[in-house]
Amino acid sequence: MRLMALDRKALEAGLKPGQGLAEARAMCLGLDAVPADPQADRQFLAALADWCSRYTPLVARDGMDGLFLDITGCSHLFGGEEGLIADALSRLSAMGLEVEGAIADTPGLAWAVARFTPAAAPQARIVPTGERAERLAPLPVQALRLDPLVVEGLTKAGLRLAGDLLALPRAPLARRFGPMPLLRLDQATGREDEPISPRLPVAGLSCERRLAEPVTREEDILFLAGELARGLLPMLEQRGLGGRLFELSLFRVDGAVFHVHAGSSRPLRDARRIEALFAGRFAALQEDLDAGYGFETARLSVSHAEPLESRQMDLGRPAETADSLADFIDQASARFGPDCLKMPVLLESHLPERASALVPAREGLAAEAGPPASASPFRPVRPIRLFRYPEPVEAVAEVPDGPPVQFRWRRAVHRVVKAEGPERIGAEWWIDGEEAPTRDYYRIEDEDGRRYWLYRQGLYDREPAQPRWFMHGLFA
Amino acid sequence: MAKEALARERLFALRETIARMEGRPLSPLDDAGTPLAPGGQEEAAGTRPPERLPLGVPLVDEALSGGLPAAGMAEIRTAELRDAGASTGLALSLCAFLARQAEGTGADPAFLFIGERKVALEAGEPFAPGLADHGLGLRRLFHAAPRRLEEALWLAEAALSSRAFRAVVLEIAGNPRRFGLGESRRLSLRARHAGSLLLLLRQGGGEEAGSTLFRLEASPSRSGHYRLPDGRMLGGTIGAPGFAVRVEKASHPALSSLPQAIAFEWIAHERLFALPDASLPPVRNPAGPAHPGARLPAPADRPDRAQALGAVLAFSRAS
Repeated sequence: MRLMALDRKALEAGLKPGQGLAEARAMCLGLDAVPADPQADRQFLAALADWCSRYTPLVARDGMDGLFLDITGCSHLFGGEEGLIADALSRLSAMGLEVEGAIADTPGLAWAVARFTPAAAPQARIVPTGERAERLAPLPVQALRLDPLVVEGLTKAGLRLAGDLLALPRAPLARRFGPMPLLRLDQATGREDEPISPRLPVAGLSCERRLAEPVTREEDILFLAGELARGLLPMLEQRGLGGRLFELSLFRVDGAVFHVHAGSSRPLRDARRIEALFAGRFAALQEDLDAGYGFETARLSVSHAEPLESRQMDLGRPAETADSLADFIDQASARFGPDCLKMPVLLESHLPERASALVPAREGLAAEAGPPASASPFRPVRPIRLFRYPEPVEAVAEVPDGPPVQFRWRRAVHRVVKAEGPERIGAEWWIDGEEAPTRDYYRIEDEDGRRYWLYRQGLYDREPAQPRWFMHGLFA
Repeated sequence: MAKEALARERLFALRETIARMEGRPLSPLDDAGTPLAPGGQEEAAGTRPPERLPLGVPLVDEALSGGLPAAGMAEIRTAELRDAGASTGLALSLCAFLARQAEGTGADPAFLFIGERKVALEAGEPFAPGLADHGLGLRRLFHAAPRRLEEALWLAEAALSSRAFRAVVLEIAGNPRRFGLGESRRLSLRARHAGSLLLLLRQGGGEEAGSTLFRLEASPSRSGHYRLPDGRMLGGTIGAPGFAVRVEKASHPALSSLPQAIAFEWIAHERLFALPDASLPPVRNPAGPAHPGARLPAPADRPDRAQALGAVLAFSRAS
């Protein structure tokens, strides 16, 4: 058992990360140790990253204990860079976190300054464009995000500070210590570009509102969503787009962030309908969305947009049904998930259980324009209800390969009055393998007039397994 | 005399109120000899009797006082779950019939089938190729299989209020306690206001009071024979799907609970109902048997088939 991380008091007591727990207990009597939980740490960092998306949509994780925020073009919204970093740090420390931060032109330099400059005046956290090299020079070589072995080599050679490296000729340095020190130096000073990888894709369009007073009631949040949607409309109109998938991010006062997604079956550019989508989602979410002390910021983003064709209104006939159908699908999908409404489609397969599928209605409506798979015109009629798993029946047949005379299904005996068949359906050997048995389907009517679809699996004499009878469907 | 007239008037007023609540026309049998004036307060929205679509089978149309209502709630039930084929077939035939009626008007009616999972387990799920064979267009057919009854009711109500569907089929198993008179009344009003038909499909349930326009008990019926192009019947075949329907509740009090069942057929490719035609005796296959020639009778006790000899070698795999 080793120490993974320490708080300030423990560091003052002289403990070090990597120390054995027993030794640490001996050094410090009142030590309060909790088992490390990297999974929870990761989740916590992800939650913090969500929270940081209030400043910029581009938030990337950095290892286990850091976040990169690309604030290009965002700082003026928070009173400049000083205002932004002061706001972020004060809010985070109000949540009980010990946070360091820095703003620089490059991720490398910001990383180095944040971690290796002792907490100081707010100005010290911001590196102006002209002072990159000067600010980097006094920092230790560890600040260059190098491999510990490389750091050790550099230290042995007497190169303790980043400034020492800056002053040296590049070619011998690269020859002796590999390409990494130079790459990191260039990345920190901006000679080399270093992209950060944001956690979440950036929404094409979004609209945000900060509230003076947090809201808790569902109606207020819905109203807010409607207002935000109204704010999105001009942007959508300008681009000729309609939103298919919307994301409402709600920032709770205590730092928790909720994302509510709502999809629509066709591109939408109507605030009322967008609000209705979220109304459906909230009805389904009830317990999961805990307002706590209220939400202080809300943002509505369009995660997926599609071109919206403007339609000419038909004077003769109201084009109401198409819209009302799409609305109903959206309403139901928002409440019970996109899989709750389905459309049957025919597939190209002769095996009954693969001849059709249920696709979610949204996709089914979208695929409407495509050519429909047509059933073969020359095939016997199919049952209207099909069992997902064919049920075994005990059948008695007059001749082994003929239709049954009577069969027992679910402990009831049915006498066969009429039978049509067999319709021989071979297995799909390209899927099931060559050993899969053939089926002989019979359409059967019993003495009460119930019509069934029975099949015998396997052929006498020709296929090795003993044939068995199954019930597969009911006819009207 | 005056007292009797007063009592009759009160009785008549009560009947009128009940009829208005149930949204049906006043039956001429209500009062002997008094022709009833249509209209009056009934013209108010929602309480007007829904128009009827004749099914084309006189007996059934008479029992349903004119045919299938264009809007409102109707119930089809089966006594046993294993008869689900007949009741589902009847409900889907009615949908296909409505779709045929809408042809030519430019409307493109959509249908929603809300199925219960229990029935899907016991009697199978709706099968798309079979539905297409039954005369239903798959392009505007939606299917939902909600987890709980409350969700099914919500879906049915939302579907009706959206007015997007010409008919909604709501399938329930048995007589659940959570679907009582209140829910039934609510859905029925919703259907009437939306102008669409709600078909309640009660699989394996008993008679229950409900706010339905009519209730039919569907049971399977022996089918006729396959009809040849020249009108003759081909013997030994299974013909058009047929149902035996007993009217348990109808707006016409005298016709309610008719003891005998009416059997009729659904001609899927023409999408119409017909009475079974037994006027002509079925014929043998006019084209002759598929394999002409003397056929030996099937031996009553022939020996068992030859058993496989020794180990079966995997020749097909080895090659």
